Amino acid sequence: MSSVPGLQADCEELLGAFQEADTVRFERFAELWRERRFHTIFYGRIRALERNKLTKKTLELAQQYFLPPYAFQIRVGALYLLYGLYSTQLCQPKQKIRIALKDWPEIQRFQQDLIGSQHYDAAYIFRTLRLSRAFHFTAMPKLLNYRTKKKIQENEFKEEFKDPSNRVNSLITNDVLEELMNIHDHYQKMKCVISADKSHPDKALSLIKDEFVVTLKDITLEHQEWQQNRMKLFLNAKETDEISNKKEEGILLESEGSERANALARIKYRSYSAVVEASKSRRHRQVKLESSESGSNYGKSPNRSKKNSRRPQPARRRDSLEVK
Amino acid sequence: IRKKALEKREETIIVDRACRQETLAYEMESHAIGKRPENPTDLVEEGELLLTLNIFYPVIFQKHKDHKPYQTVLVLGSQKLTELRDSISCVSDLQIGGEFSSQPDQAPEHISKDLYKSAFFYFEGIFYNDKRYPECRDLSRTIIEWSESHDRGYGNLQSVKMEDYTFNDLSLKIGFPYLFCHQGNCEHIIIITDIRLIHHDDCLDRKLYPLLIKKHWLCTRKCFVCKMYTARWVTNKDSLAPEDPCFFCDVCFRMLHYDVEGNKLGEFLAYPYVDPGIFN
Repeated sequence: MSSVPGLQADCEELLGAFQEADTVRFERFAELWRERRFHTIFYGRIRALERNKLTKKTLELAQQYFLPPYAFQIRVGALYLLYGLYSTQLCQPKQKIRIALKDWPEIQRFQQDLIGSQHYDAAYIFRTLRLSRAFHFTAMPKLLNYRTKKKIQENEFKEEFKDPSNRVNSLITNDVLEELMNIHDHYQKMKCVISADKSHPDKALSLIKDEFVVTLKDITLEHQEWQQNRMKLFLNAKETDEISNKKEEGILLESEGSERANALARIKYRSYSAVVEASKSRRHRQVKLESSESGSNYGKSPNRSKKNSRRPQPARRRDSLEVK
Repeated sequence: IRKKALEKREETIIVDRACRQETLAYEMESHAIGKRPENPTDLVEEGELLLTLNIFYPVIFQKHKDHKPYQTVLVLGSQKLTELRDSISCVSDLQIGGEFSSQPDQAPEHISKDLYKSAFFYFEGIFYNDKRYPECRDLSRTIIEWSESHDRGYGNLQSVKMEDYTFNDLSLKIGFPYLFCHQGNCEHIIIITDIRLIHHDDCLDRKLYPLLIKKHWLCTRKCFVCKMYTARWVTNKDSLAPEDPCFFCDVCFRMLHYDVEGNKLGEFLAYPYVDPGIFN
């Protein structure tokens, strides 16, 4: 299927902005949507047949982000995106979102998660889509068509969107650990039963470490934390790389301006109090600090931020750091 | 200067309007959306499956090398295979056999569809033969005998009746080519592209299914003489025609090859011709 040029880039840009906003509230997403006037994406094809095709492709692309292995925030973003695209499409009657049968249990689990973590706006949006009959329940996610393609285009989605694939975690899940615990207890009891002293197993029978299940759990947790830290380091390296590249190319003014705007936007939406006193005299200095810290701020543990807060900053910024 | 600019625009402008084919394609896709039947017993029920089949034409033209033309049909899960068979319109069904150069007026009206009624579907190792009429023969028997004669590694091929089965009974692979054969040697490939549950916005009138969604538009061959009417006769070894084979419409054919009394002029062999584009 020939893909619509630029569609993937646009969707990824929107989802990326949503991810950076670090929230799952629909208001935030709606603001981002309106900023970009995303509904104009359908104005590309005015005639009826092509409109249908374009809408189908757009919905199909957005639907891919809705399923695992993407991160939770991206999936919520994809849900909002699907809702937006479905409601603003120009086709009459509306083109539907295709979901394969195998994906339904995943999606239902996702909905339970949403309700459980009290993201009621996302759950409500999903329910609205269901009620307005927006889904086609199909056997296969992609509608096939037949052209001999010269080369098969592999869709490469951004790595940052994906949840770090944690093979260790998927192998040693909670269920597995519970099972192991049960079996271990059972084993100990059996040993007690067959040994002479009914309360303790025989020394000769102690062939394994007693707390191996607990140690296993600790090790997997450690691994997960390590992986998350590594991802963040990688992201930070990427960001600082990008920023330094921009500066080197010599379009200083523009990039600084946009950085300033980005930085201010970020500060605004992260702190809970309004940034009134980003005074003009200090703005330049503030920005420099922000940009070099933008990577290091990003979700690292509180000891690091305390080290940074030694630099001269307005009090509000420090609050926002620690609250984060 | 303005005049020059306008002239240049006149020459280079590309107006993007929907051509006939596109409007036709759109019409076909959407003409049945949302239809409800008059008779409530014809209503499609809620859990019904909707299959989308691509049926490929057997024509082999050079220009179709990259993508073969096909028609798309929507079928309900509870419909019998015979209903699908009846809805497939293939030009080879309309052929009239026989050479009629000596008696052009007596070209018989019965078409191949009436004469050779047998057909079969092949899905997943089972041949579904059409046995509704007594003159239908089991075309798949030859194939089954062939595969059993030497150990060719094709597993067990069975043969059953087409009218006993609905689509719900079959186990199918999406995207895998299956076969529909009729007239003994006219073979169509069938590919299932999609299976989904029926939706509120679909056409819910059972009588309209199997529903034709998309049809490839074939160019019809026009008469060699007048280039206006569709060809209805084809001649071979014709001393009066510039090429072999040559196509004529009815009027031009008679005017060229027969004199006023209806005597045959010249040497030729003439066959009635049905153009593949007849279903446009």
